Amino acid sequence: MSLFGAERIGCPEVLASLVFIIEDAIEQVERPQDIQSHIELCPNCSRELEHERLTRTFLVDALRRACSEKAPESLYESIQSQLMGTNAATEVVTTFSMTEISIEIDEFGNVEHREIQIEETHVQHMTFDDELPGGPTS
Amino acid sequence: MTSKDLVLESAPDRNDRFERDALVFMDQLYAAALRYTRNPEDARDLVQDTYMKAFTSFHQFEEGTNLRAWLYRVLTTTFINSYRKKQRQPLIAHNELEDWQIGQVQSHTSDQGKSAEVQALENLPDSDIKNALQELPEEFRMAVYLADVEGFSYKEIAEIVGIPAGTVMSRLHRGRKLLREKLADYARELGYTTGTAGFTDTTDTTDATDATDATDTTDAKEENS
Repeated sequence: MSLFGAERIGCPEVLASLVFIIEDAIEQVERPQDIQSHIELCPNCSRELEHERLTRTFLVDALRRACSEKAPESLYESIQSQLMGTNAATEVVTTFSMTEISIEIDEFGNVEHREIQIEETHVQHMTFDDELPGGPTS
Repeated sequence: MTSKDLVLESAPDRNDRFERDALVFMDQLYAAALRYTRNPEDARDLVQDTYMKAFTSFHQFEEGTNLRAWLYRVLTTTFINSYRKKQRQPLIAHNELEDWQIGQVQSHTSDQGKSAEVQALENLPDSDIKNALQELPEEFRMAVYLADVEGFSYKEIAEIVGIPAGTVMSRLHRGRKLLREKLADYARELGYTTGTAGFTDTTDTTDATDATDATDTTDAKEENS
């Protein structure tokens, strides 16, 4: 049964699927079971998979070793001060509004209607210099 | 009286949270930005832009989800939308998926090639590894970097880069292969490879006869093991 499967699926197809096995995503390929059983039966493909795994480990180590630059201190500082600049620009808007409505009816039955709207907007610029170390330069 | 000073309560808290949680990834983002832009000045600007964008849209970030992946998404989209334009080069073809799964002849690597490859990977200087990575086309470079250095899963990469998962797979497959070929070139210059064959014998130019030969020889070896 599985030998038949191994014959139906060729080495090239299996080799193209190795990345899926390595990424733990075998379910993404067509006929994952046939691929698995081919690998079990084909020493070349199983050796290739083992090699791919091993190489990946070494490749990952090499890449991580090589690509471990630290951000320059000046970048850290400028981002932090820019963030604080953004903080400083935070506005707190407090709006107070009140509507006074008065209705008067005089002795002749005339209705007088008045509406007074009072609105007050208070804009407060917030700065957090006190709370955060090293305030913005601007 | 209606008072809208809710902002007063949440904004500083949110800012604090951003500073506390997001800034710790700066080194990582900078290293990634170096890979994306390939020069320190652009990398610097990219990281700065990324943090400003992330900060202003931080309210959209759902607490409890993966902040690191979210920051990489901001970094990557910022790079794709602005920085790439000025350093744009011809990119890889659209039908990349069929290209590697159907069109390409795959064959086994020789045992000699295998051990030489592993040995070279252990001994190559960092500068060669970085150079080899720099030489990869951008799409491959991003995918390989995000998977192998940052350890993101293919699903996370699909979200970060904004491409289907299948495309991530093909980019990983081809990107790693290309990277290994380039590393083989560097290793050969340093005298690491012994045989005539490189690390991988599955180059794009491999024709059908080469592949058959390779399969035949490996089939013969099979009986010994």
